[in-house]
Amino acid sequence: MSKTINIARYNPQTDSQPQLQAFQVDSDNSTSVLDALLQVQQQDPSLGFRWSCRMAICGSCGVMVNGIPKLGCKTFLRDYPDKLTVSALAHFNVEKDLIVDMQPFLTHLAAVKPYLINAEQSSQPHRQTPAQLAKYQQFANCINCGLCYSACPQFGLNPEFLGPAAITLAQRYNLDSRDAGKAARMPELNSKNGVWGCTFVGFCSEVCPKKVDPAAAVNQGKVASASDFIISMFKP
Amino acid sequence: MNDTTQAKRSDEPVWWALFSAGGVCFAVVVPGAILALALLPAFGGFSADNLSYPRISALLHDALWGLAGLAFIGSVICLPLFHAAHRIHHGLHDLKLGGGLLSKVLCYGSAAALSLLALYLIS
Repeated sequence: MSKTINIARYNPQTDSQPQLQAFQVDSDNSTSVLDALLQVQQQDPSLGFRWSCRMAICGSCGVMVNGIPKLGCKTFLRDYPDKLTVSALAHFNVEKDLIVDMQPFLTHLAAVKPYLINAEQSSQPHRQTPAQLAKYQQFANCINCGLCYSACPQFGLNPEFLGPAAITLAQRYNLDSRDAGKAARMPELNSKNGVWGCTFVGFCSEVCPKKVDPAAAVNQGKVASASDFIISMFKP
Repeated sequence: MNDTTQAKRSDEPVWWALFSAGGVCFAVVVPGAILALALLPAFGGFSADNLSYPRISALLHDALWGLAGLAFIGSVICLPLFHAAHRIHHGLHDLKLGGGLLSKVLCYGSAAALSLLALYLIS
């Protein structure tokens, strides 16, 4: 079955803003948006978009589908019987067509020190109980696709806001029993661009393709930051 | 955003704590107050005499050495005011109309002023 797909094209050298271009693609019950984009690229090799794994693991193929952030590989044409418009992820600068500059996102991720911080040197394995694992496991499923940043109106208003994925990752390490780096991460989370930049819209959790629930992590972070605030008042 | 300068701690936990407490009051205490003071007497749940001035005045000023009145005003007026002020402050930011120091002073300032007025009126 033939289907029309509108793609927001943008060439920074010639265009002042993205413009929609319509393409015809063959579609059956299993055709994903990524499959459709690959078909379009056969027709027009100049179409730029990112992709890699085709199975919602790599997080490369994030695009806006009818204005909602989605992974191209996990979104199917069968669910869009009417109009289908694909554009670049919102709240990021477009480099070309569907390719955005992810650097602000990566900078925010790095700012929260997303790795185990522990001075203890030991050759023994660091054992964890199932209960200790359960505290952070859900937050460890993030694939850094950036959909939550496109969904977040606060990141759209203030690009300095750390944002859902970075705060979730900070929370993931702060909750890890093997980690001792919470004191090093809290200053970023305590700032106005940290957890307090969030107004609990919750759309980040709706669009997350891995059900990480960043909104829950950010609000746990608010409780952690509020208790850090109270503790700091009693410190000299 | 970098390691050399540490980000400044936000004062938001204070406003967020008042907002959270106000939210609980809005959801639990305010509907209870509306039920007891407006709906039940109107629909004959109990006699309006139960809301007579001497009785309510005694409840507000004398019960628990005056703490009952303080708790009632605090949970039905003061904390919900701070909850509303917080929503308006952040709503203005969302509408790109504020969210800075001015809207903070205006929102939380009016919540504080109206709270003090409410406490003054029952004192």
